[in-house]
Amino acid sequence: MKSREKTIRKNEIQLLEKIKESLDKLNEKMEIIIDLQKQEPRSNIPEQLPDALDVMTLLSLPDHLRKTAITICRLGRATADEVAEQTKRARAVESAYLNQLVLMGYLKKERVGRKAYFYVEKEEK
Amino acid sequence: MKKIIAVHSYKGGTGKTLTSTNLAAIYAMNKHKVALFDMDFRAPSLHAILNVRNAKYWLNDYLNGVCDIKNVIVNHSDKVGSNLYLGLANPSTEAIREMSAKDRKWEMKALGRLLSLRNTLLNDLEFDYLIMDTSPGLQYSSINAIVSADTVIVVTTMDISDIEGTKRMVHELYDLFEKKTGIIVNKVPIEKISTLEEREKLRKQYEEMSNLPVIDVVPCFCDVLRLGGNTIFSLEKPEHPFTKILREIAAKIEKL
Repeated sequence: MKSREKTIRKNEIQLLEKIKESLDKLNEKMEIIIDLQKQEPRSNIPEQLPDALDVMTLLSLPDHLRKTAITICRLGRATADEVAEQTKRARAVESAYLNQLVLMGYLKKERVGRKAYFYVEKEEK
Repeated sequence: MKKIIAVHSYKGGTGKTLTSTNLAAIYAMNKHKVALFDMDFRAPSLHAILNVRNAKYWLNDYLNGVCDIKNVIVNHSDKVGSNLYLGLANPSTEAIREMSAKDRKWEMKALGRLLSLRNTLLNDLEFDYLIMDTSPGLQYSSINAIVSADTVIVVTTMDISDIEGTKRMVHELYDLFEKKTGIIVNKVPIEKISTLEEREKLRKQYEEMSNLPVIDVVPCFCDVLRLGGNTIFSLEKPEHPFTKILREIAAKIEKL
């Protein structure tokens, strides 16, 4: 009887974890959609997009994005996981901020397999 | 603990270079491996103070991406009898003009190169301290140095315009980058702080007045001016009160 209860509880926990994971993913997507909507009026004039993430630009960013942007400057090229490790914020949060910085034109994004890498700009050799 | 320190000020002529050269010498004398960089590309001065004329590459070249930082570093240890290395700024008018005409994209790459110094200097080349002497005020090269540093030391005079500017700079710039900051109030008339108690009292007064972490207040010594800035004071006069105060400041910065 006890072992049955245990299995049920285990299944419940697994289910909750799955729900949490889905919610995280959903949250991430929502953030991107919200950002996209915010960016829309500006997307008609692509030549106005900034191309450099210099210190003066860093200064002009809101606090939450500045922290993410500086971390990328420091790491060079990193995943949302790696940024989250440095900033001690949740991965989903950093992922949303990083995507927002990509939309704003400050960062570039590259997919390698399942991982997404963010970087400022590749050094010309 | 390994550290990158930027020495900055709101106004010019407050004693940044004097502070950074002496701090570097003091840490080097304490058996640390120290790199002292002249990041004041608008008015380079380290080559003249330490009479180094044989640099093949400058920090300008490193930031321009034409050489490795190893090519820039000049070993100055023999001259001072301790582990002191230098990175110099190109003093030619042509280089100064070129550095002041850089665009945002260049500044972004320069920031990347400065940030990567943490790895190459502190880890690969095993330096304990990197001290960067910067240009006064809010300039690209200075803010780049501040962003790449762990600790920022601001040297100010008692001048009200200097104190107010420093206050604004710290709260509106350094705080945004979450930097550890320490203020040194320099050139205080000696009669105001002739005893240790008076010095501490004035330090606290400045701290309360400016709402800034004031490390210390330093008296104005004519002996410092007499040397004409062509040497490192603390090496020349290790027993002088100025050197002793700077040694105390160096110890406080280590703990910041």
